Amino acid sequence: MELKRGLSLTAGAMLLLTMSLSAAAQNDLSVGRKMLVEDNPGELWIDQGKDLFYKKRGPKNVSLEKCDFGMGPGKLEGAAASLPRYFDDTDRVEDLESRLITCMTNLQGMDRAKIIKSAISRPRSKGSEIEALALFVTSKSNGMKVNVTLSHQKEYDAYKAGEYLFYRRSGQTDFGCVQCHGEDKKRVRLQDLINMTSTPGAQEVASTWPAYRGAHYVVRTMQWRLNDCVWQMRLPDLKYGTDYAIALTTFLNHRGNDAVMQVPGFKR
Amino acid sequence: MNTNYIKWIIFVISSAFLVAGCASFPDHATTQQLSEKMVYDAFSYAPAHKKRLDQDRSQKICSKIGGPANLSQLEAAEVVKLARASIKYPTSGKLYGNWKTGAKLAYSGRGDRIRNGKVEKAKGGNGALCQNCHALEPGQINVGNMGPALTGYGKQRGNSAAIVKYTYDKIYNSWAILPCSNMPRLGANSHLTPEQITHMVAYLLDPKSPINK
Repeated sequence: MELKRGLSLTAGAMLLLTMSLSAAAQNDLSVGRKMLVEDNPGELWIDQGKDLFYKKRGPKNVSLEKCDFGMGPGKLEGAAASLPRYFDDTDRVEDLESRLITCMTNLQGMDRAKIIKSAISRPRSKGSEIEALALFVTSKSNGMKVNVTLSHQKEYDAYKAGEYLFYRRSGQTDFGCVQCHGEDKKRVRLQDLINMTSTPGAQEVASTWPAYRGAHYVVRTMQWRLNDCVWQMRLPDLKYGTDYAIALTTFLNHRGNDAVMQVPGFKR
Repeated sequence: MNTNYIKWIIFVISSAFLVAGCASFPDHATTQQLSEKMVYDAFSYAPAHKKRLDQDRSQKICSKIGGPANLSQLEAAEVVKLARASIKYPTSGKLYGNWKTGAKLAYSGRGDRIRNGKVEKAKGGNGALCQNCHALEPGQINVGNMGPALTGYGKQRGNSAAIVKYTYDKIYNSWAILPCSNMPRLGANSHLTPEQITHMVAYLLDPKSPINK
């Protein structure tokens, strides 16, 4: 733990240094981020996720080895790259985080409310179980292409709902997703914004989560990203693992097909 | 017996194909119904905050898939008409406030965000959010580029009564000038008070404001 914190702090300091150097030298803020992708502190969470995955846990004292992410029980290679998808056992389209929760509750007998309560960790903490597990499972797709297919009716429905919600404006800021993520080369203050209406933008989204968030010193999942967006949009509290989040993720990931998975991503 | 068995197999296989073949994108009405339900299921909110999820008429029009480029002329005209009708002026009638107060608000993105059911209270009222999206004073780096640069806004335009009113209206309800613009309708949505908007007007127009240096 000490080692981890030390490494993250060093990495954070390096990021600030590289960011300020590159800003001064060539006004290109992406240079520091690119350097950190190559030596990403988030990698430290992969082993933690692996331990949690294979350890016998919960009231039923079993591991997650029987969890089916869509490729068959225990088959992890390429599984995260094909999520969200429809699952027979829950009769629902699930993304990575909601599928993990399904397995933790159904296989291991854990308490859903309890998992969700700690799903998004505090900044500078050791991270949550879901964050580590999501990263471990996704890392098993590294180097493989995103391949979210639409075949079940509920997958088609989720995709179309995601598209609808991407453009849906409400609240006192009148924001939908597209207000910040609809054009190339836009920034909110210094933060680059991904144009998610473009194929390269959707591919970046689909292939880089879970990601190490430099400012928080922990690994974050897509669920966290959506939470933080709606908070800034002045919407009420987004619950964890909702059909709303899964629909948006289906819309983005399907359009991000063929991107090569590389996690943990690195985010500011 | 045997033929019945084969018939059954053919029936099962063909109906499986039929079901698989039927899966396709839902029509817009179905999508809308599904998605609207998703919105209200996804958030936990106090009754007073339901309005943050509800769409008014203009928001509905401005949520076109593909963006405002797909607006019809009639829809754009309706949004402008509703926006114009929404604009309220301060009771004092003065649209030009204090640029120094405006300068502080321009850099604040705080206020009215909700976390764990608690509404964020910002000192001096909600921030005006300007810096998030607009370049403001000359030479600043930490400014957004979602909206046009406002550097030298007043220097270019002067501060005639017409410009003062135009600027007030634009901040109060940007859709009165550009329907379905990305800019929040800050006054119409009660994010800023009319008084706060007069300070933003002064910050943009006053020759002494750092934005015009």
